[in-house]
Formats: sequence, structure tokens, C-alpha cells
Amino acid sequence: MSLAIHTDVKEPAEIPEEIVVLAEKVSVRRLNFYYGAYRALSDINVSLYQNKVTAFIGPSGCGKSTLLRILNRIYDLYPNQRADGEVLLDGENILGPKQDLNLLRAKVGMVFQKPTPFPMTIYENIAFGVRLYEQLAKADLDARVEDSLRRAALWDEVKDKLSASGLSLSGGQQQRLCIARTVAIKPEVILLDEPCSALDPISTAKIEELIDVLKRDYTIAIVTHNMQQAARTSDFTAFMYLGELIEFDETTRIFTNPKQQRTQDYITGRFG
Amino acid sequence: MPGVAATPRYHRRRWRDRLATSLAIAAAGFGLTWLVLILLVLVVKGVGGLSLAVFTEMTPPPGSAGGLLNPIVGSLLLTVLAVVIGTPLGIMAGTYMAEYGRYSKLTTVVRFINDILLSAPSIVVGLFVYEIMVAQMGHFSAIAGAVALAMIVIPVVVRTTEDMLLLVPNTLREASSALGLPRWLVIRHVAYRAAQTGIITGVLLAIARITGETAPLLFTALNNQFFSWNLNAPMASLPVVIFQFALSPYEDWQQLAWTGALLITVAVLGLSILARALSSKKVQI
Amino acid sequence: MMDAAVAGRDIALVHAEAKRAATLRRFNVGDRAFKAITEISAITVLVLLAGVMLALLHGSLPAWRTFGFDFLTSQSWNPVTEKFGALPAIYGTLLTSFIAMLIGVPVSLGIAIFLTEICPQRLRRTIGIAIELLAGIPSIIYGIWGLFVFAPWFQVHVQPVLIDTFASVPLLNQLFAGPPYGIGMLTAGLILAIMVLPFITSITREVFETVPPVLKEAAYGIGCTRWEVMRRVVIPYTRVGIIGGVMLGLGRALGETMAVTFVIGNAHRIVPSILAPGTTISATIANEFTEAVGDLYTSSLIALGLILFFITFIVLAAARLMLLRIAQKAGN
Repeated sequence: MSLAIHTDVKEPAEIPEEIVVLAEKVSVRRLNFYYGAYRALSDINVSLYQNKVTAFIGPSGCGKSTLLRILNRIYDLYPNQRADGEVLLDGENILGPKQDLNLLRAKVGMVFQKPTPFPMTIYENIAFGVRLYEQLAKADLDARVEDSLRRAALWDEVKDKLSASGLSLSGGQQQRLCIARTVAIKPEVILLDEPCSALDPISTAKIEELIDVLKRDYTIAIVTHNMQQAARTSDFTAFMYLGELIEFDETTRIFTNPKQQRTQDYITGRFG
Repeated sequence: MPGVAATPRYHRRRWRDRLATSLAIAAAGFGLTWLVLILLVLVVKGVGGLSLAVFTEMTPPPGSAGGLLNPIVGSLLLTVLAVVIGTPLGIMAGTYMAEYGRYSKLTTVVRFINDILLSAPSIVVGLFVYEIMVAQMGHFSAIAGAVALAMIVIPVVVRTTEDMLLLVPNTLREASSALGLPRWLVIRHVAYRAAQTGIITGVLLAIARITGETAPLLFTALNNQFFSWNLNAPMASLPVVIFQFALSPYEDWQQLAWTGALLITVAVLGLSILARALSSKKVQI
Repeated sequence: MMDAAVAGRDIALVHAEAKRAATLRRFNVGDRAFKAITEISAITVLVLLAGVMLALLHGSLPAWRTFGFDFLTSQSWNPVTEKFGALPAIYGTLLTSFIAMLIGVPVSLGIAIFLTEICPQRLRRTIGIAIELLAGIPSIIYGIWGLFVFAPWFQVHVQPVLIDTFASVPLLNQLFAGPPYGIGMLTAGLILAIMVLPFITSITREVFETVPPVLKEAAYGIGCTRWEVMRRVVIPYTRVGIIGGVMLGLGRALGETMAVTFVIGNAHRIVPSILAPGTTISATIANEFTEAVGDLYTSSLIALGLILFFITFIVLAAARLMLLRIAQKAGN
């Protein structure tokens, strides 16, 4: 299903609006999620549109991180957790039993709340992921590493110390390293799980700028506690509460004219 | 989307993953099989010689029937003595490390040395006690054997006591100090009580450890064919008797060795399970 | 009237104060006494270690005075002519421990990986507890099992195969030369390997569990297979701890007496074949100490003990230092 908003360009007196064609990259349908017997998500229906940033907001425990972690099936590592419903990536249901998890995760990358550099050099942190999928000559690999670090706005800060340990960087730099690592393997979707909550304001600002650039090439979903961040960075916003999706709409509309009372209450800070 | 598809490269990665998984499973199977085998043989051969006589008769000369009474009693006696000697010292030392000297240099050094003593070869402990007791006294004795075993008990008790006392939250200590209790009573009434399960578990584990120790007894308590309560004379113990009987060419002695080995193993496993059950019950004050 | 009441009150107050002062004094004395007792006990631990070293030095002095440094390099062991040398025992100790580590470490790592990653959740606790219980089985059990069950089987089914397989391979045929005794260096090494398995496995498992789950998720997140996560993230992260655990296991293997004494064969000689009987330091002491006649013989055995203590002290100290480092890292 794709949404298309056209304007008739033929009228010379009218200023033509942009032709906006939204393609669905990820489509979540009737999704329920359980931790053991406890139902954490109820009947979620939402879409991530291609090359757009979709933010998930809501109070603690509403299930937004849980939802994100379904999109790359990282919950599969834990035996007590299960999902039922459909999650379509480019039309294919990734919850199916035949889905190859490693290939899925190569397409859908994730950046976690806590920066997680691998116990390797900065160069290796990035090259490691690339080498999993491609065999590149040294020059090409170097170029890919540099490209990823540039995309993560980290190149200038680390170009002279690529052989230093990833752990020697500051928190904000480590997180950008994780972003570089994720884009290096050329995914199609990037999931960001509260990527700035462990960082200082300056690093946070840098990463928010990054998101704006990254969305030109990737489809992005971001979970955030920070409503202003959601308003600043995203095109679409989903408000969740107690495991349900309350409202999903364009960001400008959610923050200026929400349809649901609960959304309004959350946004105005009546509960947190 | 370059590079992401079921390429030959990906198949190779999958293949390597499967190989590693199979090797890990094989390793687990291999290791566990040997261990289970040992236990099975032990049970089968040991049970074969089990009878009331084992617990009521003394060790026989080769060729006649008998039991393991003196080594069983000897082992019990030596264990009790070792615990009596080693536990107070161990608890006191652990108390210093966790309470009075928590951040002191002495504690760091003692902890390091204690951990080395914990894993030190037990035969060296036997030699040490030989030098300071047997050589001085001129003869082997049960008390020397008890001291040797105590030297194995001490590091275990020191370690567990310190670990358990460190787990007691400081808020408990502060609350009782605020009432005016002096330090030593705070320790006695609050810290010990909170840590008592853990400390008892430590003592049980120490007992389990010394139950099977042979080497420290070989030249301290030596062995005794006959039943004896005399602490100043050599005393029989299960491990030493097993050692002697197993290496002998006599079949009835070898059978008694297996039965004795089974008894030791049951005791050790029983104590370990008891210690585990105690520590998982989490006694609330 | 008032004065009496006031005086009465004053007296009561004085009594109460006196009692309180007495109690506080008692508290004070109790505190100092208790603190002294605990401190002395802690120092006693150090004294014990020093005592062990001194006692061994004292007891072995006659041997060192007679043989000097040659004690470490001589192969002779003759109670009759009173010529003793430690080399066969040292060689045996090192060789059996080496074999034990060679086989035991990879298998232990495999079991630890199995338990933390592959084993189904329901079985994990049971098998984990089983392994910890097995770690407590006294070594004499392994010894008699080795002598009565393993060695005969090994002699009939495995050793001839080894001898025949390598018979025509240069160098290796020396290593695996017959006759098949059943007991010997290799047998002792294998028994030690089985003994050391549960020990290294539990330490490795504990160390694996210090890896933050987020780090593993990040690796899975870029599409790593389970083996890639273990190999490139978990094991490098825990490398120091694993080495510490392995060295603890080595320290244990080096000092092991009973598991080895039954199956080593008690021959004081060094030959190329690992199928041949030999001896270790602890086996020598265990077998010969009570029969040793003469000061020089006893002293030589104690000298062996000193050497063993020295070797294990170094290995254990290094291991503890490494484990300290990973504990600090996990604390951060």
C-alpha cells in the first residue's frame, strides 16, 4: 500500500506543492508481544516509511523499546519472549520461521542506548562488520571505513588514531562509532534505541544532526524519552502507552494538534 | 543491496558456526560422559562391598573379612578437630579483612596470600606440618593430621567469611552504631547474624574439601590398623586406608577401598548439596 | 525535704553515670580486644605462608648442602648410594600438567560455551550444578578409577593403536613408543585432564557471564553468527579472566597428588615416550616419604616439595593477579 499526494501541476497560477510519495518500508500489523505470560504489546499497527524518520514516544514501560527490538528480532536471543502478528519488511514477514536472522540483521541495523564498542581497534570495529559480508581489498576496506566514519561525523576526530582501542573514545564518540559500524554494512533500516540518553548535550546535538543526514539514505526509527528530540528530528511520530499504540501521525500534527486526549496529556506534560 | 544475500561467503560463515556449535556440543558430551562414567563405576563397585560390617568392624589383615570402622571414626575425629582448630581462626581473620581493615594494605596482602594458600598443593601442607610437629615430637600423631587439615580449612573459611561479611549492607551497621553499640557488638549481633548462613556454608564447603584429602595425612597422622582414640598416636583415616588398600594386591582390600571411596564421595556430594541448599534459602533477619 | 529529694536525685544520677562509664569502658576494652584478635588472626595467615616456606627450606637444607644446584639437573635417584636428583620428578610434573592442559582447556572452553550459549534453558541450571558438584570429587577417586578402570582399558584398546599408528612416523614414533603399560605419563595426564575439567569450566562460565548482554546484542545486531559473537567479542572481552582460570587449573594440576600417584608408574627416569612410566614430584613424595630412611633421603624429598611449592606459587600468584584485573573491569 502506498500513499501518494499529488497536486495538479498544470495550473500555472498555483504554486506547485511537492510531490510526496510515501513508500512503506516496514509494516507492522496486528502485533502482540509476550514476556512469558505477560502481554507487553497489544495489537500494534504502524508503518515506517522509506527514507523518513519515525519517532516512538511514550512514558517508561509503554513498550516502545520492545517494539523496536522486534524489528530486528533481537528478542530471539531470549527464550521467554515471543511475538505474534506480522512485521513486513519490503513485503516479507520477518516473523516467519524461515526468516534468516543474520541476513535480517544485516538489513536492519540497531544502535543501542549504551554505547557498545567492541573490544577491538576503531578500525577493526568497523571493518569487522564489513568483512562479515564482503571481501574487499585493503584499499577498498580503508575507503569504506573512512566513508562510514564520515557519515557518522567521527572521521576528523579519529583519523589519526584508527588503531587505538574503541574503548578509548569518549561516550559521545563511542556512540558515533557504533553508528558508523552500523552504516558500514549498508543496511536499509536503522533502529535507534534512545541513542542519546547516555550522552552529554553536545554529543546529543551532533547525533541529531547526523540523523537528519542519514535519513537521505536510510529508513530510520528512533525511540526517545525526549519529546523535543522527537519533534526536532522526526517526520512521523507514534505515541505509545501501556503496550498500545495510541496515535500515529506526522510529527507536526502530533505535536500541534493531536487527535487523542492521552497524546495531548503526554505532550503537555500532564504525565510522564 | 550489495553483499547481503545468501552468498557463498554467507554459507561459509553459517558452516563455520555450525561446526563450532557441534564441537562445543561434542566437548560437553565428551567431558560429561567421562565424569558420569566415573560416578557409575564408583557406585557399582562400591555398593558391591557395602554391608553392616563395613561400619562395625575394623580394617582386617589381608585375606580376612573386616570393615572400615577405624578409618571412618578416624576421619570423623580428624575432621571435627580440623574444623575446631581452623574455623575460629578463619572467621576472625575474615572479620578483620571485612570489618576493621577493609581498605588497609594488610587486607590486600592477606587476601592475595590466602588465595594462594587456597590452591596450594596439599602435599606441601603435609610436609610443613611434618617439619614443625612430627619431626619435633618424634612420632606421627592424629593431632598433627588435624593441624594439617586445619591448614586447608583456614583459607576456605577466611575467603567465605570475608565475602559474606562484605555482602552485609553498611546501612545495617550504621543503624546499630547509631544506637550506641560498640564496633565489636555490631559485628557480633548484626554482621555475623546477617552473614551466618554464608559463613556456615563456607564451613560446610571446607569440610567437603578435607573429607577427601589424602596427601596431608600421609605423613602426619599416618595410619592405624586398630581402633584408637589417642590423639597423640597415629590414626587411621578413610583416604589413607583407601590409598593403602587400593595399591595392594589383595582383592578384599581393594573391595574395601572402593566402598570407602563411595562413602567419601557420598559425604562430599551430600555436604556440597547441603551447602548449596542453605545458601539459596536466603535467611531473612 | 527538698534537699533530700534533690540529693536523692543527684545520687541516682551519679550512680547512673558511673554505670554508663563502666559500660563504655567495657565497650572500649571489648572493642580493642576484639580488634586485636582479628588482626592477629589475619596476620597469622601470612605467618602460615612464611612458615611453610621456612619449614621447607629448613627441612631441605641438608639436600641443598650436599647436592647444590646439581639437585635440579641430576636424573639419578638412588636411596642406596644416597644420590638424589629432582629432574625426573620435575619433568614428570611439567609433562603431565602440560598434557592435562592441552586436552582439558579446549574441552572446558567448549563446555563453557555450550552452557552459556547453546544449552537449552531448562537444562542449563541442572548441568551447571552437576559440573560444580563434580568439581568437588576428591582426587583419590580419580586415582583409583584411573588405576582399575581407565588404565586397563587404555592399555588394551588405545595404546596399541597409538603405537602402531605412529610406528613409521619419524620423531612421533619415539613419542609413542611401546610397550603398552596402561599406566604412565600419558595416562596420568589424561586423568588429570578429566579432573581439571569441571574446575576450569566453572571459572570460564562465571567469566563469560560478566559480559554485558548489550555488547552481545550489538554483535548479533550487525548479523554475527553465534560463533562469531563468541570468537570476536565474548572471548576477547574475557580473555584475561579465561587465562586466569586456566592458570588456576594449571596450579591445581601441578600440585595434584592422588589422581596421579596411582597411574604414573613411579619410575625415576626420563624417556622420550609419553607412554612410559615416570614420576611427578607429588607422587614421589607420597610414595616414598614414609619409607625414607636417613636424613638425606627425607631432606631430598622435602627439597622436592620446596620446588613444587615454588612452581605453584608463581603460577597461582600470576593467575590471581589476572583474575583481579577482570574483577576490576567488571566492577567498572
